[in-house]
Amino acid sequence: MTPLQTQLPTWTAVAPTLLLGLTALVLLLVDSIDPDSTRPGALAGIATLGSLATLAVAGWFLLAGTGQTGSGGAIELYGGSLVVDGLSLFFTVVVASVVAMVSLASYDYLRDRTYQAEFYSLVLLAATGMSLMGSSGSLATVFISLELASLPSYALVAFLKDNRGSVEAGLKYFLVGAVSSAVLTFGISLVYAATGSLLLADVASAVGSAGDLVGIAGVGIVMIAGGFAFKTASVPFHFWAPEAYEGAPAPISAFLSSASKAAGFAVAFRVFAVGFPLDAVVPMGIDWSLLFAILAVVTMTLGNFAAATQENVKRMLAYSSVGHAGYALIGLAALSGGGPNGNVMGASMAHLLVYGFMNTGAFLFIAMVEHWEVGRTFEDYNGLATRAPAACLAMTVFMFSLAGLPPFGGFLSKYALFYEAIQGGFWWLAAVGAINSALSLFYYSRVVKAMWIEDPTGEFDLGATPVGLYAAVMVAAVGTLLLLPAFGPVVETAQSAATALFA
Amino acid sequence: MVPVQWYLLLATAVFCIGLFGILTRKNALLFLMSVELMLNAANINLVAFSAYWGNITGQTFSLFTMALAAAEVAVGIGIILVLYRNFDDVDVTLAKGMRW
Amino acid sequence: MNQWIAIGALGVMGVGIPIAMMVVSALLRPSVSEQGKTVVYESGEVPTGTAHVQFNIQYYMVALLFLVFDVETVLIFPWTLIYRSALEQGATLGQVLAPMLVFIGVLVVGLGWAWRNGAVEWIKSPRASRRKTERQS
Repeated sequence: MTPLQTQLPTWTAVAPTLLLGLTALVLLLVDSIDPDSTRPGALAGIATLGSLATLAVAGWFLLAGTGQTGSGGAIELYGGSLVVDGLSLFFTVVVASVVAMVSLASYDYLRDRTYQAEFYSLVLLAATGMSLMGSSGSLATVFISLELASLPSYALVAFLKDNRGSVEAGLKYFLVGAVSSAVLTFGISLVYAATGSLLLADVASAVGSAGDLVGIAGVGIVMIAGGFAFKTASVPFHFWAPEAYEGAPAPISAFLSSASKAAGFAVAFRVFAVGFPLDAVVPMGIDWSLLFAILAVVTMTLGNFAAATQENVKRMLAYSSVGHAGYALIGLAALSGGGPNGNVMGASMAHLLVYGFMNTGAFLFIAMVEHWEVGRTFEDYNGLATRAPAACLAMTVFMFSLAGLPPFGGFLSKYALFYEAIQGGFWWLAAVGAINSALSLFYYSRVVKAMWIEDPTGEFDLGATPVGLYAAVMVAAVGTLLLLPAFGPVVETAQSAATALFA
Repeated sequence: MVPVQWYLLLATAVFCIGLFGILTRKNALLFLMSVELMLNAANINLVAFSAYWGNITGQTFSLFTMALAAAEVAVGIGIILVLYRNFDDVDVTLAKGMRW
Repeated sequence: MNQWIAIGALGVMGVGIPIAMMVVSALLRPSVSEQGKTVVYESGEVPTGTAHVQFNIQYYMVALLFLVFDVETVLIFPWTLIYRSALEQGATLGQVLAPMLVFIGVLVVGLGWAWRNGAVEWIKSPRASRRKTERQS
């Protein structure tokens, strides 16, 4: 296949990100033309089409080999501040598919609300930031793209401004986010102090000879890790997640817990693999993979145990999302100087893609239940399958896939992740992960049991079928199922993209 | 010239004051001010080490930090306003309808 | 002798002279207690009400717009610094201008949206305008 970058000007490599941003601007323009009328169909359509176009372009680039090792390596723009390669395109695909599902579902969720154009354009602006996070090649771009993803998210969580839960969730998300972004900035400034550069490649070559400033570099790296822990909802900055996911409008919970988390991992993978290479920093005593190993174990154990004790389904999913951040952290933890690091990181990327579908689907199912005004606890779900069998079947797929049961996409991605961790010599991480997965089966199956086995406590009055929400849930379910046969190529793409980082 | 370590000490002190403010204040506006302190501590570092290393990367980045801090405050005050409307106060500890 | 003594002397003078002036004037001036002296000075206007009033929420919208555009000028600064040297080193006018035009263009889209949605319009509350007419009559 001829490499794409020889046929198109290099700046087109960021076309997926630009498309997301342009869609947001188009939405604002449409709203400026006639602010008084709401056109839910047109707005949701523009948002969905924009994200689908992004998905198509990013997928095409990924298949055509833009910025990948086979066709000339990563494309660097603006003096290396933006890097387009396999990793960034892979995560753009994840973000764009989540945004497409979320905007489709929001059509019904937002039907009677005001400020719809603002909602969609904030979602797309946040998505722009998220896809930029994957391509940031300098700590400056890291900070700016992270803020571009965070600021609209704060507003979106507090979107239901007359709902106390939503406002409270937005406040907590904002407070934790503001502190963690300040910590991240201070960490970046310390790394700059020690190395004299913000470009990841230059940081990597300078960090080994930091001399007297090695302590400062170490503190800076730990603080940067803290900033990413917020974005990925990992310990120690995880405690906003249950509140924000529970209080936010359910499509936004889906968006944040899938796309935002994936983007956080994208930027963490690149910064730590490229900027602070293990064989340079470990001799200086900064062993960040050990830090992430501890965080991974704590995060998955805490997330899963807390999820097991919940009565509210949305909050259970929120804690399970923290647990899944722990699994994905294995991609940063099970690394060693000179090992087959690309494989385990690639497996983690593939898990994030599968997670993007199954977790978005699960939260969109919650959105549908909220739309029906059924209730929030496990008991409220009793016998729901008698009224909405198709949606409940989809939810069953999500739950079993999240738990990692064999015939679904989640099984393969988790299996690949644990297998690669064992190959890298981190059998104990895999063991902790497997124990936690077994525990997670308990609370995921509670939802399934409530829906299919328990008798309904009362009559359901579901009303009309929300077409957009239904379609989005079904797309997510089909995606989760399709990722089972398609998992081989996905994980190969991810692993080759991750290996390119370590080269 | 002032040794560059002093700037580091100053920045760390400012950062810690900000952190202290966040941990002890209940007023959401004072919280915002504390976050500003933490961000500006980073700016002190960036500008000082920009001079130390002789490149302007740090200075330019500090401009971006300021712009983003302003944007963050704008979003933050918006959220604090809806907090005030719903809870009739800007005390961040009042909003505890959900369990931690 | 080192140069710190000069700085110390400057400090002592700087603090000492104002204190001395206040003490001397307090000793010399006659004490006439009059109500007008304790009133808040508001540029010659007769002050109304206390300083502890709640401001109209619409100030916030204006302040927000001002803040955003005020701070964005900061980001134009680095661009102006390299503008001339970039042109001298052979970049075309379009290459130099286009990024900034795109940046401003994005801002203009935002401003246009805010304008159309009434963020810059001052909505008069009926109560406030009634009070105003009552005061005038």
